[in-house]
Amino acid sequence: MFETLPELANVALQAEGTASGPAIEPSAAAALAVGLAAFGAGYAERGIGAAAVGAIAEDESLFVQGLILTVLPETLVILALVVIFLV
Amino acid sequence: MSATGSSNPEYVNARVRSRRGALYDDEDYRKLLRMGPAEIARFMEESTYEEEINALGARFSGVDLIEFALNRNLAKQFNDILDWANGRLYDLIARYLRKFDAWNVKTVIRGIYTDTPREEVETDLIRAGEFGDRRIERLLEATTIEEVVDSLDGTIYGRPLRAAYDDYEESGVLVPLENAVDRAFYENLLDGLVVNEATEQYREFLYAEIDFRNARNALRLARSGADIDPSEYYIDGGRLFSATELSQLAQNPDELVSRIRDSVYGDRLSSALDELERADSLIGFERALEAALLEYSGSLGHVFPLSVSPVISYILAKEREVENIRAIARGREAGLSEDEIEEELVIL
Repeated sequence: MFETLPELANVALQAEGTASGPAIEPSAAAALAVGLAAFGAGYAERGIGAAAVGAIAEDESLFVQGLILTVLPETLVILALVVIFLV
Repeated sequence: MSATGSSNPEYVNARVRSRRGALYDDEDYRKLLRMGPAEIARFMEESTYEEEINALGARFSGVDLIEFALNRNLAKQFNDILDWANGRLYDLIARYLRKFDAWNVKTVIRGIYTDTPREEVETDLIRAGEFGDRRIERLLEATTIEEVVDSLDGTIYGRPLRAAYDDYEESGVLVPLENAVDRAFYENLLDGLVVNEATEQYREFLYAEIDFRNARNALRLARSGADIDPSEYYIDGGRLFSATELSQLAQNPDELVSRIRDSVYGDRLSSALDELERADSLIGFERALEAALLEYSGSLGHVFPLSVSPVISYILAKEREVENIRAIARGREAGLSEDEIEEELVIL
Protein backbone atom coordinates (compact mmCIF):
# COMPACT_ATOMS: atom_id res chain seq x y z
CA MET A 1 0.00 0.00 0.00
CA PHE A 2 2.86 2.36 0.89
CA GLU A 3 4.49 1.86 -2.49
CA THR A 4 1.47 3.31 -4.25
CA LEU A 5 1.44 6.48 -2.13
CA PRO A 6 3.92 8.57 -4.18
CA GLU A 7 2.05 7.67 -7.34
CA LEU A 8 -1.24 8.74 -5.78
CA ALA A 9 0.30 12.05 -4.72
CA ASN A 10 1.51 12.58 -8.28
CA VAL A 11 -1.96 12.08 -9.69
CA ALA A 12 -3.46 14.45 -7.14
CA LEU A 13 -0.90 17.16 -7.88
CA GLN A 14 -1.47 16.83 -11.60
CA ALA A 15 -5.21 17.12 -11.19
CA GLU A 16 -4.77 20.35 -9.21
CA GLY A 17 -2.48 21.72 -11.88
CA THR A 18 -4.87 21.16 -14.76
CA ALA A 19 -8.17 22.31 -13.13
CA SER A 20 -8.31 26.08 -13.48
CA GLY A 21 -10.94 28.14 -11.65
CA PRO A 22 -13.41 27.19 -8.87
CA ALA A 23 -15.18 23.87 -8.57
CA ILE A 24 -18.62 25.30 -9.45
CA GLU A 25 -19.75 28.35 -11.37
CA PRO A 26 -20.48 31.55 -9.35
CA SER A 27 -24.14 31.57 -10.38
CA ALA A 28 -24.54 27.97 -9.26
CA ALA A 29 -22.99 28.85 -5.89
CA ALA A 30 -25.41 31.77 -5.53
CA ALA A 31 -28.33 29.47 -6.32
CA LEU A 32 -27.12 27.07 -3.64
CA ALA A 33 -26.91 29.92 -1.13
CA VAL A 34 -30.50 30.97 -1.80
CA GLY A 35 -31.64 27.38 -1.58
CA LEU A 36 -29.96 26.88 1.78
CA ALA A 37 -31.45 30.14 3.09
CA ALA A 38 -34.90 28.96 2.02
CA PHE A 39 -34.29 25.67 3.80
CA GLY A 40 -33.42 27.55 7.00
CA ALA A 41 -36.50 29.72 6.69
CA GLY A 42 -38.67 26.67 6.20
CA TYR A 43 -37.27 25.02 9.30
CA ALA A 44 -37.84 28.16 11.36
CA GLU A 45 -41.42 28.41 10.11
CA ARG A 46 -42.13 24.83 11.11
CA GLY A 47 -41.90 25.63 14.81
CA ILE A 48 -43.54 29.03 14.59
CA GLY A 49 -46.36 27.71 12.43
CA ALA A 50 -47.12 24.90 14.86
CA ALA A 51 -47.21 27.32 17.79
CA ALA A 52 -49.30 29.83 15.83
CA VAL A 53 -51.89 27.23 14.87
CA GLY A 54 -52.06 26.14 18.50
CA ALA A 55 -52.65 29.69 19.66
CA ILE A 56 -55.26 30.33 16.94
CA ALA A 57 -57.10 27.13 17.89
CA GLU A 58 -57.55 28.54 21.42
CA ASP A 59 -58.28 32.12 20.43
CA GLU A 60 -59.31 33.03 16.89
CA SER A 61 -58.49 36.70 17.28
CA LEU A 62 -54.80 35.76 17.16
CA PHE A 63 -55.04 34.86 13.45
CA VAL A 64 -53.38 38.03 12.13
CA GLN A 65 -50.55 37.97 14.66
CA GLY A 66 -50.01 34.28 14.00
CA LEU A 67 -49.81 34.81 10.27
CA ILE A 68 -47.32 37.67 10.57
CA LEU A 69 -45.05 35.78 12.97
CA THR A 70 -45.20 32.67 10.79
CA VAL A 71 -43.94 34.45 7.65
CA LEU A 72 -41.27 36.54 9.42
CA PRO A 73 -38.44 34.06 8.61
CA GLU A 74 -39.21 34.66 4.93
CA THR A 75 -37.04 37.77 5.26
CA LEU A 76 -34.10 35.34 5.34
CA VAL A 77 -34.85 34.26 1.78
CA ILE A 78 -35.36 37.83 0.57
CA LEU A 79 -32.01 38.87 2.02
CA ALA A 80 -30.37 35.82 0.47
CA LEU A 81 -31.70 36.89 -2.93
CA VAL A 82 -29.27 39.86 -2.76
CA VAL A 83 -26.52 37.35 -3.48
CA ILE A 84 -28.01 36.73 -6.94
CA PHE A 85 -27.39 40.35 -7.90
CA LEU A 86 -23.87 40.40 -6.47
CA VAL A 87 -22.47 37.71 -8.76
CA MET B 1 -52.59 10.60 20.02
CA SER B 2 -49.77 8.17 19.58
CA ALA B 3 -46.40 7.40 21.05
CA THR B 4 -44.72 7.31 17.66
CA GLY B 5 -43.58 10.17 15.47
CA SER B 6 -41.75 13.27 16.54
CA SER B 7 -42.86 15.41 19.43
CA ASN B 8 -44.54 18.76 18.94
CA PRO B 9 -43.88 20.95 21.98
CA GLU B 10 -44.50 24.20 20.05
CA TYR B 11 -48.11 23.35 19.31
CA VAL B 12 -48.94 21.88 22.71
CA ASN B 13 -47.26 24.68 24.65
CA ALA B 14 -49.01 27.40 22.69
CA ARG B 15 -52.40 25.86 23.49
CA VAL B 16 -51.52 25.12 27.10
CA ARG B 17 -50.27 28.64 27.74
CA SER B 18 -53.46 30.05 26.35
CA ARG B 19 -55.51 27.81 28.65
CA ARG B 20 -53.33 28.70 31.58
CA GLY B 21 -54.12 32.33 30.97
CA ALA B 22 -57.82 31.50 31.25
CA LEU B 23 -57.51 30.04 34.77
CA TYR B 24 -59.12 31.99 37.60
CA ASP B 25 -56.93 34.70 39.11
CA ASP B 26 -56.91 36.48 42.48
CA GLU B 27 -59.76 38.74 41.47
CA ASP B 28 -61.98 35.81 40.48
CA TYR B 29 -61.27 33.98 43.73
CA ARG B 30 -62.19 37.07 45.71
CA LYS B 31 -65.52 37.15 43.90
CA LEU B 32 -66.06 33.40 44.35
CA LEU B 33 -65.42 33.66 48.09
CA ARG B 34 -68.48 35.85 48.48
CA MET B 35 -70.81 33.58 46.48
CA GLY B 36 -73.15 30.77 47.39
CA PRO B 37 -73.08 27.42 45.53
CA ALA B 38 -75.71 28.47 42.98
CA GLU B 39 -73.86 31.66 42.17
CA ILE B 40 -70.56 29.79 41.86
CA ALA B 41 -72.19 27.44 39.35
CA ARG B 42 -73.42 30.41 37.35
CA PHE B 43 -69.99 32.04 37.50
CA MET B 44 -68.43 28.83 36.22
CA GLU B 45 -70.96 28.64 33.42
CA GLU B 46 -69.69 31.96 32.10
CA SER B 47 -66.10 30.73 31.93
CA THR B 48 -64.33 27.59 30.70
CA TYR B 49 -66.75 25.27 32.53
CA GLU B 50 -69.75 26.22 30.41
CA GLU B 51 -70.11 22.90 28.61
CA GLU B 52 -69.89 20.76 31.76
CA ILE B 53 -72.31 22.90 33.77
CA ASN B 54 -74.83 22.80 30.95
CA ALA B 55 -74.49 19.05 30.50
CA LEU B 56 -74.88 18.26 34.20
CA GLY B 57 -77.15 21.12 35.21
CA ALA B 58 -80.36 19.18 34.64
CA ARG B 59 -79.37 16.23 36.82
CA PHE B 60 -77.54 17.83 39.73
CA SER B 61 -77.66 21.04 41.66
CA GLY B 62 -75.68 22.96 44.25
CA VAL B 63 -72.32 21.68 45.40
CA ASP B 64 -72.73 18.32 43.65
CA LEU B 65 -73.13 20.08 40.32
CA ILE B 66 -69.98 22.10 40.93
CA GLU B 67 -68.00 19.07 42.01
CA PHE B 68 -68.99 16.88 39.06
CA ALA B 69 -68.46 19.70 36.59
CA LEU B 70 -64.99 20.29 38.01
CA ASN B 71 -64.03 16.63 37.75
CA ARG B 72 -65.36 16.33 34.25
CA ASN B 73 -63.64 19.49 33.07
CA LEU B 74 -60.36 18.37 34.61
CA ALA B 75 -60.54 15.07 32.76
CA LYS B 76 -61.45 16.80 29.51
CA GLN B 77 -58.58 19.29 29.74
CA PHE B 78 -56.02 16.58 30.41
CA ASN B 79 -57.35 14.29 27.71
CA ASP B 80 -57.09 17.23 25.31
CA ILE B 81 -53.43 17.63 26.17
CA LEU B 82 -52.79 13.93 25.59
CA ASP B 83 -54.63 14.20 22.26
CA TRP B 84 -52.43 17.04 21.08
CA ALA B 85 -49.13 15.63 22.17
CA ASN B 86 -47.06 13.32 20.00
CA GLY B 87 -43.95 11.26 20.39
CA ARG B 88 -41.75 11.74 23.40
CA LEU B 89 -43.79 14.65 24.66
CA TYR B 90 -46.78 12.31 24.97
CA ASP B 91 -44.72 9.86 26.96
CA LEU B 92 -43.55 12.55 29.37
CA ILE B 93 -47.06 13.90 29.94
CA ALA B 94 -48.71 10.48 30.23
CA ARG B 95 -46.12 9.53 32.83
CA TYR B 96 -47.38 12.28 35.11
CA LEU B 97 -51.08 11.91 34.32
CA ARG B 98 -50.96 8.29 35.45
CA LYS B 99 -51.60 9.67 38.88
CA PHE B 100 -55.26 9.79 37.91
CA ASP B 101 -55.11 6.10 37.08
CA ALA B 102 -53.76 5.58 40.58
CA TRP B 103 -56.57 7.73 41.95
CA ASN B 104 -59.18 5.74 40.02
CA VAL B 105 -57.82 2.39 41.16
CA LYS B 106 -57.85 3.56 44.77
CA THR B 107 -61.37 4.93 44.44
CA VAL B 108 -62.67 1.66 43.02
CA ILE B 109 -60.98 -0.37 45.76
CA ARG B 110 -62.38 1.90 48.46
CA GLY B 111 -65.81 1.71 46.83
CA ILE B 112 -65.79 -2.09 46.95
CA TYR B 113 -64.48 -2.06 50.51
CA THR B 114 -67.30 0.16 51.73
CA ASP B 115 -70.02 -1.39 49.50
CA THR B 116 -70.67 1.87 47.71
CA PRO B 117 -73.05 1.60 44.73
CA ARG B 118 -71.37 1.54 41.36
CA GLU B 119 -72.94 4.82 40.17
CA GLU B 120 -71.49 6.73 43.10
CA VAL B 121 -68.04 5.31 42.51
CA GLU B 122 -68.31 6.13 38.83
CA THR B 123 -69.04 9.81 39.45
CA ASP B 124 -65.95 10.06 41.63
CA LEU B 125 -63.60 8.76 38.95
CA ILE B 126 -61.45 11.22 37.04
CA ARG B 127 -60.94 9.83 33.56
CA ALA B 128 -57.79 11.79 32.81
CA GLY B 129 -55.20 9.07 32.97
CA GLU B 130 -53.95 6.51 30.54
CA PHE B 131 -56.59 3.84 31.22
CA GLY B 132 -59.11 3.60 28.42
CA ASP B 133 -62.87 3.43 28.93
CA ARG B 134 -62.85 -0.35 28.60
CA ARG B 135 -60.39 -0.91 31.40
CA ILE B 136 -62.26 1.50 33.65
CA GLU B 137 -65.49 -0.32 32.79
CA ARG B 138 -63.90 -3.59 33.86
CA LEU B 139 -62.68 -2.01 37.08
CA LEU B 140 -66.18 -0.78 37.84
CA GLU B 141 -67.71 -4.15 37.12
CA ALA B 142 -65.46 -5.87 39.63
CA THR B 143 -67.33 -6.87 42.78
CA THR B 144 -64.39 -8.04 44.86
CA ILE B 145 -60.98 -6.57 45.39
CA GLU B 146 -59.44 -9.70 43.96
CA GLU B 147 -61.21 -9.03 40.66
CA VAL B 148 -59.79 -5.51 40.64
CA VAL B 149 -56.31 -6.91 41.13
CA ASP B 150 -56.90 -9.43 38.33
CA SER B 151 -58.15 -6.81 35.89
CA LEU B 152 -55.01 -4.74 36.44
CA ASP B 153 -52.73 -7.52 35.28
CA GLY B 154 -50.30 -6.23 32.71
CA THR B 155 -50.35 -2.64 33.92
CA ILE B 156 -47.72 -1.12 36.17
CA TYR B 157 -50.03 -1.72 39.14
CA GLY B 158 -50.53 -5.43 38.49
CA ARG B 159 -47.56 -6.93 40.25
CA PRO B 160 -47.31 -4.58 43.27
CA LEU B 161 -51.04 -4.98 43.93
CA ARG B 162 -50.85 -8.75 43.78
CA ALA B 163 -48.01 -8.69 46.29
CA ALA B 164 -49.97 -6.36 48.56
CA TYR B 165 -53.15 -8.43 48.28
CA ASP B 166 -51.85 -11.11 50.66
CA ASP B 167 -51.11 -8.42 53.24
CA TYR B 168 -54.60 -7.10 52.79
CA GLU B 169 -56.14 -10.52 53.34
CA GLU B 170 -54.18 -10.94 56.55
CA SER B 171 -54.79 -7.53 58.03
CA GLY B 172 -58.14 -6.59 56.48
CA VAL B 173 -57.19 -2.92 56.08
CA LEU B 174 -56.70 -1.09 52.80
CA VAL B 175 -53.40 0.57 53.67
CA PRO B 176 -51.14 -1.99 51.94
CA LEU B 177 -53.16 -1.88 48.73
CA GLU B 178 -53.30 1.91 48.55
CA ASN B 179 -49.63 2.09 49.32
CA ALA B 180 -48.83 -0.36 46.56
CA VAL B 181 -50.73 1.76 44.04
CA ASP B 182 -49.06 4.99 45.12
CA ARG B 183 -45.63 3.48 45.10
CA ALA B 184 -46.14 1.90 41.69
CA PHE B 185 -47.06 5.31 40.34
CA TYR B 186 -44.18 7.22 41.89
CA GLU B 187 -41.58 4.63 41.11
CA ASN B 188 -42.63 4.58 37.47
CA LEU B 189 -42.36 8.35 37.26
CA LEU B 190 -38.60 8.28 36.97
CA ASP B 191 -38.26 4.87 35.38
CA GLY B 192 -36.59 4.97 31.98
CA LEU B 193 -36.69 8.73 31.77
CA VAL B 194 -34.26 9.91 29.10
CA VAL B 195 -32.40 12.80 30.65
CA ASN B 196 -31.11 15.54 28.40
CA GLU B 197 -31.04 19.29 28.62
CA ALA B 198 -34.78 19.62 28.09
CA THR B 199 -35.96 16.90 30.47
CA GLU B 200 -33.47 17.68 33.21
CA GLN B 201 -35.86 20.29 34.60
CA TYR B 202 -38.66 17.77 34.47
CA ARG B 203 -36.59 15.33 36.47
CA GLU B 204 -35.80 18.01 39.04
CA PHE B 205 -39.51 18.62 39.38
CA LEU B 206 -40.30 14.92 39.83
CA TYR B 207 -37.58 14.68 42.48
CA ALA B 208 -39.16 17.62 44.26
CA GLU B 209 -42.58 16.01 44.12
CA ILE B 210 -41.29 12.72 45.54
CA ASP B 211 -39.26 14.48 48.24
CA PHE B 212 -42.22 16.60 49.28
CA ARG B 213 -44.44 13.55 49.40
CA ASN B 214 -41.94 11.73 51.61
CA ALA B 215 -41.60 14.76 53.87
CA ARG B 216 -45.37 15.05 54.20
CA ASN B 217 -45.80 11.35 55.01
CA ALA B 218 -43.05 11.48 57.60
CA LEU B 219 -44.52 14.55 59.26
CA ARG B 220 -47.99 13.06 59.31
CA LEU B 221 -46.68 9.91 60.92
CA ALA B 222 -44.63 11.90 63.40
CA ARG B 223 -47.66 13.96 64.36
CA SER B 224 -50.12 11.12 64.60
CA GLY B 225 -47.75 9.17 66.80
CA ALA B 226 -49.08 5.97 65.26
CA ASP B 227 -46.92 2.92 65.59
CA ILE B 228 -46.31 2.39 61.89
CA ASP B 229 -43.01 1.77 60.23
CA PRO B 230 -42.37 4.90 58.12
CA SER B 231 -40.26 3.02 55.64
CA GLU B 232 -43.43 1.24 54.52
CA TYR B 233 -44.62 4.55 53.16
CA TYR B 234 -41.28 5.50 51.75
CA ILE B 235 -41.23 6.28 48.04
CA ASP B 236 -38.05 5.45 46.28
CA GLY B 237 -36.39 7.87 43.89
CA GLY B 238 -36.23 11.17 45.76
CA ARG B 239 -33.00 12.90 46.69
CA LEU B 240 -33.67 14.16 50.17
CA PHE B 241 -34.15 11.05 52.25
CA SER B 242 -33.24 7.41 52.17
CA ALA B 243 -35.60 4.84 53.67
CA THR B 244 -33.63 4.34 56.89
CA GLU B 245 -33.08 8.06 57.37
CA LEU B 246 -36.76 8.70 57.02
CA SER B 247 -37.62 6.11 59.68
CA GLN B 248 -35.27 7.83 62.12
CA LEU B 249 -36.43 11.33 61.24
CA ALA B 250 -40.10 10.40 61.63
CA GLN B 251 -39.42 9.77 65.33
CA ASN B 252 -38.10 13.26 65.70
CA PRO B 253 -40.11 15.99 63.91
CA ASP B 254 -37.74 18.81 64.92
CA GLU B 255 -34.83 17.09 63.27
CA LEU B 256 -36.95 16.43 60.19
CA VAL B 257 -37.82 20.11 59.89
CA SER B 258 -34.21 21.20 60.23
CA ARG B 259 -33.24 18.62 57.65
CA ILE B 260 -35.68 20.09 55.15
CA ARG B 261 -34.45 23.57 56.00
CA ASP B 262 -30.86 22.63 55.15
CA SER B 263 -31.82 21.00 51.86
CA VAL B 264 -32.09 22.56 48.40
CA TYR B 265 -35.76 23.29 49.13
CA GLY B 266 -34.92 25.29 52.26
CA ASP B 267 -35.21 28.75 50.73
CA ARG B 268 -38.46 28.02 49.05
CA LEU B 269 -40.09 26.54 52.14
CA SER B 270 -38.60 28.71 54.86
CA SER B 271 -41.81 30.57 55.66
CA ALA B 272 -43.78 27.32 55.75
CA LEU B 273 -41.21 25.76 58.06
CA ASP B 274 -41.35 28.75 60.37
CA GLU B 275 -45.08 28.40 60.56
CA LEU B 276 -44.82 24.70 61.21
CA GLU B 277 -42.47 25.25 64.14
CA ARG B 278 -44.49 28.10 65.55
CA ALA B 279 -48.12 27.12 65.15
CA ASP B 280 -47.87 23.36 64.99
CA SER B 281 -50.20 23.44 62.03
CA LEU B 282 -49.63 20.50 59.75
CA ILE B 283 -52.37 21.68 57.38
CA GLY B 284 -50.63 25.01 56.90
CA PHE B 285 -47.41 23.21 56.12
CA GLU B 286 -49.06 20.98 53.57
CA ARG B 287 -50.62 23.99 51.85
CA ALA B 288 -47.22 25.63 51.78
CA LEU B 289 -45.68 22.49 50.25
CA GLU B 290 -48.29 22.56 47.51
CA ALA B 291 -47.77 26.24 46.85
CA ALA B 292 -44.01 25.73 46.70
CA LEU B 293 -44.38 22.90 44.19
CA LEU B 294 -46.74 25.00 42.09
CA GLU B 295 -44.38 27.96 42.09
CA TYR B 296 -41.42 25.74 41.28
CA SER B 297 -43.18 24.16 38.32
CA GLY B 298 -44.23 27.61 37.10
CA SER B 299 -40.65 28.86 37.08
CA LEU B 300 -39.46 25.73 35.24
CA GLY B 301 -41.68 26.59 32.29
CA HIS B 302 -39.74 29.80 31.75
CA VAL B 303 -36.34 28.15 31.78
CA PHE B 304 -37.09 25.74 28.93
CA PRO B 305 -40.09 26.99 26.96
CA LEU B 306 -39.93 24.13 24.46
CA SER B 307 -39.92 21.28 26.93
CA VAL B 308 -42.60 19.45 28.87
CA SER B 309 -42.31 21.87 31.81
CA PRO B 310 -45.02 24.38 30.78
CA VAL B 311 -47.46 21.48 30.35
CA ILE B 312 -46.69 20.08 33.80
CA SER B 313 -47.03 23.51 35.32
CA TYR B 314 -50.44 23.89 33.68
CA ILE B 315 -51.55 20.47 34.93
CA LEU B 316 -50.62 21.43 38.50
CA ALA B 317 -52.22 24.86 38.24
CA LYS B 318 -55.43 23.37 36.88
CA GLU B 319 -55.56 20.81 39.67
CA ARG B 320 -55.10 23.58 42.22
CA GLU B 321 -57.91 25.57 40.65
CA VAL B 322 -60.26 22.61 40.84
CA GLU B 323 -59.35 21.98 44.48
CA ASN B 324 -59.73 25.66 45.31
CA ILE B 325 -63.19 25.95 43.80
CA ARG B 326 -64.22 22.73 45.52
CA ALA B 327 -62.93 24.08 48.84
CA ILE B 328 -64.87 27.31 48.37
CA ALA B 329 -68.08 25.52 47.44
CA ARG B 330 -67.83 22.99 50.27
CA GLY B 331 -66.79 25.69 52.71
CA ARG B 332 -69.77 27.87 51.83
CA GLU B 333 -72.09 24.91 52.15
CA ALA B 334 -70.70 24.12 55.61
CA GLY B 335 -71.13 27.75 56.64
CA LEU B 336 -67.46 28.60 57.13
CA SER B 337 -66.48 32.27 57.15
CA GLU B 338 -64.62 33.84 54.24
CA ASP B 339 -61.37 33.99 56.19
CA GLU B 340 -61.57 30.35 57.13
CA ILE B 341 -62.14 29.33 53.52
CA GLU B 342 -59.34 31.57 52.31
CA GLU B 343 -56.92 29.71 54.55
CA GLU B 344 -57.80 26.52 52.71
CA LEU B 345 -56.93 27.94 49.32
CA VAL B 346 -53.61 27.76 47.54
CA ILE B 347 -53.34 30.89 45.42
CA LEU B 348 -50.18 32.21 43.86
